[in-house]
Parts: sequence; structure tokens; C-alpha cells
Amino acid sequence: MRAYVLSRLGQTVLVVALSLTAVFGLVRLSGDPVLFFMPMDIQAKDVNEFRQRLGFNDPLLVQYGRFVGGALRGDFGQSLRYRQSALGLVIERLPATLLLASTAVLLTLVVAVPLGVISAVRRNTAVDHAATVATVLGQAVPGFWLGLMLIYLFSVQLRWLPTGGRGGLAHLVMPSIVLAAFFAARVARLTRSAVLESLGEDYVLTARAKGLAETRVIAKHTLRNSAVPIVTLAGLEIGQLLGGAVITETVFAWPGLGRLTVQALLNRDFPVVLAAVFVISTTYTLINLAVDLLYGWLDPRVRLRA
Amino acid sequence: MTFKAWLGLGVLLAVVVAALGAPWLVPADPVTSDFGSMLKPPGSAAHPLGTDQLGRDLLARVIYGARLALFIGTCTVAVTAVAGGLLGLVAGFVEGWPSTALMRIADVQLSFPFILLAMTINVIVGLGLRNIILSLSAAGWVVYARVVRGEVLTVKERDYVQAAAALGAGRARLLFRHVLPNVAPSIIVVASLQFSQFIVAEAAISFLGFGVQPPTPAWGNMLAESRDYLYVAWWLAAFPGAALALTALGVNLLGDWLRDSLDPKLRV
Repeated sequence: MRAYVLSRLGQTVLVVALSLTAVFGLVRLSGDPVLFFMPMDIQAKDVNEFRQRLGFNDPLLVQYGRFVGGALRGDFGQSLRYRQSALGLVIERLPATLLLASTAVLLTLVVAVPLGVISAVRRNTAVDHAATVATVLGQAVPGFWLGLMLIYLFSVQLRWLPTGGRGGLAHLVMPSIVLAAFFAARVARLTRSAVLESLGEDYVLTARAKGLAETRVIAKHTLRNSAVPIVTLAGLEIGQLLGGAVITETVFAWPGLGRLTVQALLNRDFPVVLAAVFVISTTYTLINLAVDLLYGWLDPRVRLRA
Repeated sequence: MTFKAWLGLGVLLAVVVAALGAPWLVPADPVTSDFGSMLKPPGSAAHPLGTDQLGRDLLARVIYGARLALFIGTCTVAVTAVAGGLLGLVAGFVEGWPSTALMRIADVQLSFPFILLAMTINVIVGLGLRNIILSLSAAGWVVYARVVRGEVLTVKERDYVQAAAALGAGRARLLFRHVLPNVAPSIIVVASLQFSQFIVAEAAISFLGFGVQPPTPAWGNMLAESRDYLYVAWWLAAFPGAALALTALGVNLLGDWLRDSLDPKLRV
């Protein structure tokens, strides 16, 4: 078990290192980075001085070496816009994103999983059909449009909720619903099919034959066995949740990592982009590792193999 | 076909017809501004969906937006299916370090959210129509490569492939005559499921200010502009987004049906 975790952690480091190298390479290959940072009306000698100072006149390999050396110490350089440590900026914004993402995950678990179970148990009833319509719509409606429509309804028309920004609970309501919508639709659909699948198994028949109450059959015998595919999907989708946060945070002016990344990309603030790539890919691979470890706990058969 | 599949097909056909027939369907030009009739609400005969902040006809812009969305979706799906499919075919058929390296690249790419990856590539290669297709493709080929490689690994061990190899069929013949037809259904299913993802991703990227730039009418940049007028003109946000959601819905319903009938075990 320890060997497994260690080797997976090694893989995580490799993946993060490779993605940083790729982004570094792309940024440098895409042309002169200095010109991106400079105003249009700058003099040629100033450009050259700036280049010299930032070390862009050195060979690419030397620049890469310096970048790696810095990254190992957690130093991605200064943000070109905010004149602060790039990684510091990113870390500062991380809690807001984590709060938003975890609220969305919580909402999903509280709404989508029970919905999927009810849908499967009451198959082909009105409840099931309504749930199907909701999940199909949830997957098709883009988050940023849903966000705009919610703002129009609840902020412009009804004046119940703030349009954006971070503050009390009221600020969290719309962004977390928007972020959860797509995720919840997928999870509800998958829960339904996973539960339907295990309802057909012999052990469910046995449990019913023993005379167990139906709630116990569902909660104890069915749901536990349906958990593995649900957790797999949830793990895969959490990465997309981070992607969704980029858009949701922009719509609702939520001061998180996603909005910072979009602004850094728009401003060509590449040290911040690289620091954000580092934090996002690390978070994502660590979440996937946690999901893989969760399997062993959910399904003892996996534990035996590992 | 199920009811849902018919519904999906109907919606999608309507969008395709509107997109192809745009120049004949709408008399108004989508980029000509008319400062005499700015921000008119929907319902008038001249402008059924109203006008935007520059007096441009919203119906025309939404329909031309469909054109752009379908064009980008189709091109991206074609590029990713061919490139990702070929890479997956070869990686599954010829085992060795190049295919391992390819799959490692795929792992690295998958350790990053799709939309953020496409956006980052878009910033680096530059904005515009061709580059948004390029960026979405560079971010999206991975899914095909993975699915196809996995399928090829099992298909190539089947008896009919082994028999063809024993009869002296060359690698290319084995690959394209015997393996490809058996993995083609998966490629079609992935393509149909990816199509709506690409359209929505393009809209999201254009919404954030990358991708397709105004005044070209794309649903994403129309929604971005609508944010400033949300208090006075709800229709600017409502209609382009509804068109986008409806298109995604049609494609999804059809894609679900394709998956259920061609490859029910596939999860993308």
C-alpha cells in the first residue's frame, strides 16, 4: 500500500513537471515574450534593456534551467502586472476557489445522488421522467448562460441575491448552483444507471428474500455497490469542475484562482499563468490520487489487487 | 430510434437548416449597425428577436452565430477524430516507446481541465477563427487517442485479425481493413459526444474574451457583450444562450442514442 502511494506520488510529480515544461516551451516558442508585456509605443533600446534584465537574451536551455531552479523553490517570478510573487498571488486566491468547488460538490452529493437513486428505484414513474428531463437539460445548458439568466432573475428582477463578488452566504448561492449544475446532472444520470445495474444483481434478490426492508436493501446492499462508478466519475469530473470554476468565477466576479488565471492570460502575465498551471495540475492529480485510494475503502476487491 | 433521439435529430436539423440557409432566411445583415433602433425589445415585425446595443438585428446575429458554431464544431471534430483516431490506432497496434510516450503526453494533458488548456493554447497561438479550431483540436484529440488505443489493444488479438496476419496481410492492411472497421463505432460515438462539448467550449472561450472576436457574431462573444446590458435588455443574453443550449441538447440526445446503440459500455 505504501509503495503504491509513493509510486503514485512520483507520477504526480512527473505529470506536474511535464505540464510546466510544456507550458514554458509553448510560451517561449510563441514569439518574443517581451513584446507581449510592453506597451505599443516603446523604444527599441528599452525593449532590449528589459529583455536583458529579465534574462530573455540567454539561451533557451539556460532560461529553462533558471525556471526549473526557481520552480523547485516555489519561485515562479514576479507577476508582471501586480509586482508580487506569482505563486503567492495564486495561493492567495486558492481558498476562494476551493470554497466554491467544495460547496458545488456538496450540493451535488446532497441533490444528485438521492435524485439518481429515487429515479432508479421508481423507474419509469413521473418522478423518474422529471428527473431525466432535468438531467438532460442540466447537461446541455452552458454554465455561463445559466449564470447570466440567474443573475437576471434573482438579482435584476427579484433583487434577492447579489450579482457577484465574495461576501456572505448570499454571494455563494448562485455561483455554486451554476458550478454544480453540469456536474450534478452527470452524477445523477450515472447514479441512476449504476443503481439500476446493481438492483438486478443476485445479492439484492437475496437481501429481499431474507425479508429485509426495502430501504435497507437500497441503502446497504445497492448503494454501496454502486459507489465505485460514481466515485470514478466524480474524480474525473472534479478536474472539469476546476475548469468550470474559471467561467463561473468570471461570470460572478468571484475572486478565485480561475478568474485570476483568465486575467493573467488576457494580460499575458505568464509568470502567473505558469504558477496557476502548477497549482491546478497539482490539485487535480492529488484529487485523482485520493479518488483511487478511496476505491480500496469502498471496494475490498480492489484492495486485494493493490 | 427512441423519442429522445428523434427529438435530438429534429432540433439539430432545424439548427443546421437555419445555419446553411442564413443568407436567405434573414434579410437583415448581422454586422450592420442602425443607431436609429438600438436595444429594441423582441416582438416587432422588423426585428422578431429585437436589436442589440448597436441596433443590429438579433435574429440575424443568432442565426449567423449558428453557422459559426456548427462550422467550428464540425471542423474540430473532423480534425480531432482523424488525428486522435490515427494516433490511437498506431499507438494500440505498434507497442513500444513511441506509443508509451504518446500516452504519457495524453496523461499530462488530461491532468488539466479541457477548457483551460484550450484557452491557454489559444492565447499562445493567437486569436481568430482558425486558431480557435486549432486550440480546441490540440486540447481535444486525447480522448480519441485513448479510447481508440484501448479498443485496438483488444481487437488486434481477435481471431480474425490473427488469421489475416497468418495469411500474410501487411500491417497497413491489417490496420485499415480489419482493425479500423471494428473501432469505427467508438470513434463515431466519441465524435458525437465531443461535438457539443466543442461548441460549448468555443462559446465559453469567446465569452471570456479569447477565441472569436467581435464584431463577428459568435454566441460566446454576444453573451459577453450582453452582460453590460443585462439590466435593460434581457433578450441579448436570453436568445444566443438559448440557441447554444438547444444545439447542445440536440447533439447530446442524438449522441446518447448513438452510444446506446453502437457502444453501450463506452464512458467518455
